[in-house]
Amino acid sequence: MGFLNKKSKAALNDPLMNNNPITLQVLGICSALAVTVKLDTAVVMTVAVIAVLSISNTVIALLRNLIPSKVRIIVQLSVIASLVGLTDQVLQAYMYEMSKQMTVFVSLIVTNCIVMGRAEAFAMQNGPWRSFLDGLGNALGYGMILIGVAFFRELLGFGSIYGFQVIPDTFYTAGYENMGLMVLSPGAFIILGLIVWAHRIAAKIEED
Amino acid sequence: MRSNTYTIAFTMAVTTVLAFFLSLASSALSERQELNIKIDIKKNILKSLEFSETKEEAWTLEIVQNIFDSYITSIVVDKDGNLITGKTADQISDFEKEFPIYVKKINDKVDGYSIPISGKGLWSTLYGYFSIEPDMMTAKGITFYKHKETPGLGGEVEKLWFQSNFRGKKFINPSGELIGIQSIKGIVDETSVEAYHQVDGISGATMTTKGLNNFLLKDLKKYESYFNRIRKQGDA
Repeated sequence: MGFLNKKSKAALNDPLMNNNPITLQVLGICSALAVTVKLDTAVVMTVAVIAVLSISNTVIALLRNLIPSKVRIIVQLSVIASLVGLTDQVLQAYMYEMSKQMTVFVSLIVTNCIVMGRAEAFAMQNGPWRSFLDGLGNALGYGMILIGVAFFRELLGFGSIYGFQVIPDTFYTAGYENMGLMVLSPGAFIILGLIVWAHRIAAKIEED
Repeated sequence: MRSNTYTIAFTMAVTTVLAFFLSLASSALSERQELNIKIDIKKNILKSLEFSETKEEAWTLEIVQNIFDSYITSIVVDKDGNLITGKTADQISDFEKEFPIYVKKINDKVDGYSIPISGKGLWSTLYGYFSIEPDMMTAKGITFYKHKETPGLGGEVEKLWFQSNFRGKKFINPSGELIGIQSIKGIVDETSVEAYHQVDGISGATMTTKGLNNFLLKDLKKYESYFNRIRKQGDA
């Protein structure tokens, strides 16, 4: 197998554009809404999901011929839950402020449909290297949207990008106000909806 | 189809390996996690006592510890208002009977006191600190370090605009009785005679602020006999 042959490349690239888990499969929406108020939480969430998804896919792919089919879902889930537990512990130890802000949403990666979905749909049938790429690709596809949503929510809701104020004070004195709606969940729905729309047009996807 | 024995053996093996890794991580990291929690609480005590993080100097674990050690000491009082000499907040075993007070001193002069407050809001128990000026009747600040109220509604209790309202408000009425500080519906009418113990409410968070009013009063009651004693000493 080459370093990145055609199939491996597809495993990595597809979920970024043509088969994005959020905008096209509409998976993982819950966390996409919850952690996108500001960019920093969205970035940490992305990194956490990249770690969990690529490792869980690799582990499941390595075990795929050993896992009894009767208990495969629960085995997948145990692997995923352990990895999430591990991620949570690391965050609590090294990024305490961040883990406080993200509260339960780190643990909720367990229930992120993307993670289980990739384990069951891809890692059970493919080798570890390709599964790793598939996990990485899906996590990046997920993270890309997350960061996109967070970018607009933080910009419009707080006037800042990654904590740095970008809307000058003169705007505020001239009567500009931050959009409170963006900080609340409906703001996420609206931005996400617009991104899904834009993405589907760009990817030339039509449904009947 | 695999045999049942294989299935059971396999699941047992997998669980054992996973549990091993998890407990390994947990025990390796627990020390650092506990330190984080302790420092976070100290950070809140400092914030309630008007220390603040600046952009130039972000609060690392060491800096928080340093500031805390240089300015803050703790004392312990009982419900009858007696000072338990020689005891510090870390040594309290029964929080129902003994209450900690964190004292901020600048050049040996008391600059403020901070007490832990906690109680039910709408969804969760809120934990924080309430600090008091040396006159023992004026609020100096309030912070919250743990709660699960709705962000944007009850969650606003952790915001500066809400917390800064408390500064300068009195929780003792003119005849010397404990009255607490009430966060009311809407904006405080500063011309009202009641304004001295009222702060602006949070719209959409009636239950959270009601809870806060109640548990702030409840917690202040625990300390009232001690505070009263200090007030009288001040008069003498």
